[in-house]
Amino acid sequence: MNQQDLRMHAKKPIKPGTMLGKAGAYIVMGVFAFMTIYPLVWLFLNSFKSTTEFRTNMMGLPVDWTFDNYITSWKIGEFDKLIGNSILYTLGSTVGITFFSLLTGFAFAKIKSKATGLIYGSFIIGILLTIQSLMVPLFLEVTSIDRGIGDILRSLGLIGPGEFRLFHNTRFGVLIIYIGSALPVGIYMCTEFIRGIPSAIIEAAQIDGAGYFRIFRSIIVGMSRPIAMTLSILNIPLLWNEFALINILVSETSLKSLPLGIYKFSGGLSSDYGKQFAALVIGMLPMLLFYIAFRRQITAGVSMGALKE
Amino acid sequence: MNGTATKLEKDRRAYWAMVLPSFLIYLFVFGFPIVLAIVLSLSNYSGGKMFGGTPWRITGFQQYLRLFTDPYFWNALKNNIYIVLISVFGQLPLGFVFAYLIYRKTVRFEAFWQGVLYVPAMISTIVVGILWSIIFSPYGPIADTANHYYADTYSAKISGIVQATGGLSNPDALTDQIIKASPKTIHTVFSDPAVDLKDFLLSYDPSDTATLEKDIVNLLAPRWNADFLSKNNIAMIPICFVTLWMWVGTYLLIFLANMQKIDRSIIEAAQIDGASETQIMGRVVLPSLSKVIANSAILCISGSLSGFALILAMTGGGPARVTQVLSIYMYDKAFMGAPDYPLANAIAIMIVLFSLLLVALMFALERRFGGKE
Repeated sequence: MNQQDLRMHAKKPIKPGTMLGKAGAYIVMGVFAFMTIYPLVWLFLNSFKSTTEFRTNMMGLPVDWTFDNYITSWKIGEFDKLIGNSILYTLGSTVGITFFSLLTGFAFAKIKSKATGLIYGSFIIGILLTIQSLMVPLFLEVTSIDRGIGDILRSLGLIGPGEFRLFHNTRFGVLIIYIGSALPVGIYMCTEFIRGIPSAIIEAAQIDGAGYFRIFRSIIVGMSRPIAMTLSILNIPLLWNEFALINILVSETSLKSLPLGIYKFSGGLSSDYGKQFAALVIGMLPMLLFYIAFRRQITAGVSMGALKE
Repeated sequence: MNGTATKLEKDRRAYWAMVLPSFLIYLFVFGFPIVLAIVLSLSNYSGGKMFGGTPWRITGFQQYLRLFTDPYFWNALKNNIYIVLISVFGQLPLGFVFAYLIYRKTVRFEAFWQGVLYVPAMISTIVVGILWSIIFSPYGPIADTANHYYADTYSAKISGIVQATGGLSNPDALTDQIIKASPKTIHTVFSDPAVDLKDFLLSYDPSDTATLEKDIVNLLAPRWNADFLSKNNIAMIPICFVTLWMWVGTYLLIFLANMQKIDRSIIEAAQIDGASETQIMGRVVLPSLSKVIANSAILCISGSLSGFALILAMTGGGPARVTQVLSIYMYDKAFMGAPDYPLANAIAIMIVLFSLLLVALMFALERRFGGKE
């Protein structure tokens, strides 16, 4: 038998057992898909019901469609401020993470140094650590440093008696810690990617007299666009949805991010379902839209297996 | 010679200029907190200024002893293990099987499954937690659907009884039948059903049995108080379920992408040799993915050890702290009530050790049982 015959032979007619298996597969996966879609649709529809209507009509379509829930919860949650902060934190740290990851990844991949083994290795350990487990020492670190610097500056007469803030309750602190928390994965991905760039290109540029920074700017950044895209697209939802760290880093409403604002609706406001649902929709809509817009890139990025929860 | 020396020097400077900023940020965010956590977990630091405040000193391992004798620590550890187990033995196998079904084209519409099942991972954990806590609450859709069903069955039963007994023309029989039909609820409403219910029934207009039936149903239909999240012994189940729900799609994507990299001819050869679908899965696809699976398991473990926001939003660690995981337990000790920083730092160290231990275990298992490259 030649290859063609073998292929033909391999295509057996569908047996009833396979049909049953197929049906089972569709049912199980269908149940999971249903459990994903239905709660979100349910939430969305109920956000247009008043709390009174929700109590008597939990499952059906809204009878009186109302937009009031959105108006009030937007006001209570001060979401206009929080969304601005979330955008700043997400974009600011994404840019920072991508920049530092590429820069350091380039050094690890293309500049020979005895230090690389140790430092790169320590970043790899960071991939295995969950930054949330360090939130208590991180909190003590930022507050103590702020207090320490404040005391010194005060004793030198450089600042007044007020509280000195550098890392705790500042946007700068959030950005630095967000950048740091994502650097291990970012540096790992960028180092591996840049290693794949032929060294001949770099050597040629060196012969032309270009230094490493010049090579980074004019060659590496351009060639690393795919990995920079992947890294950004993976980090944006993680940063936008981040809760555990910002929860301890920031206590003033003017500095809070969207998830912190949504969390407020789980406590005292929890029996006012209408507003709570509207807040939840406001909380998830930006990333759902982002997902719809970049689904292909996100799917490709996640399947690289480099996503850290 | 001099030229090369300065070039090396320049290279060295460029290297450090590129590495040092990242490394300092990394030390600030990971390195220093770990050292701080180790030091404070061995101390009696009670808050306030770290230097120049109330003096504190190293007191040894007593925080760890306190931890090991605290039943809440073991409870939190146990819950963490549940979540790790559901993650490693739930998310991964389900993600793998779903990916395999798509890969082998057992199910079609690849893009649909991928697209939908990944949605939960895009939503803020806080939103997910609050949403599911509503769904599992006594006021949620599960309880509502069940109670509608109960009310409908009960309503049918009551109208049967009203017809059979002839309604209020025979109040004694009606009372008796209703009492029999509602064993669970009757005593919560009437203290002496035989007398009180009869009085209640007689207060209705005998010709308007419809209103009577409706009121009886509202009053006496059995209700399911589906408080999944407030029952001590089952509250972890919904949390594990939501953890599974959130991440199955992620592993589906990872596994599917890696299956699509497998050389098709290997699978065709196996089919020609008469291998069944399960054999292809177990003997061909699974071994060639062993490294990916091990890496995913590591992701899975470190992800499930955080699990902080989900539980905070779903139960806050309640009822009576039974759904606490280590991170919530730590958060409680540091930020709720009087801060106990040494203990909280000891917990942080325990979480780090626990996750490194599990990761080491994963590596060992992959090395022992993994397929060859």
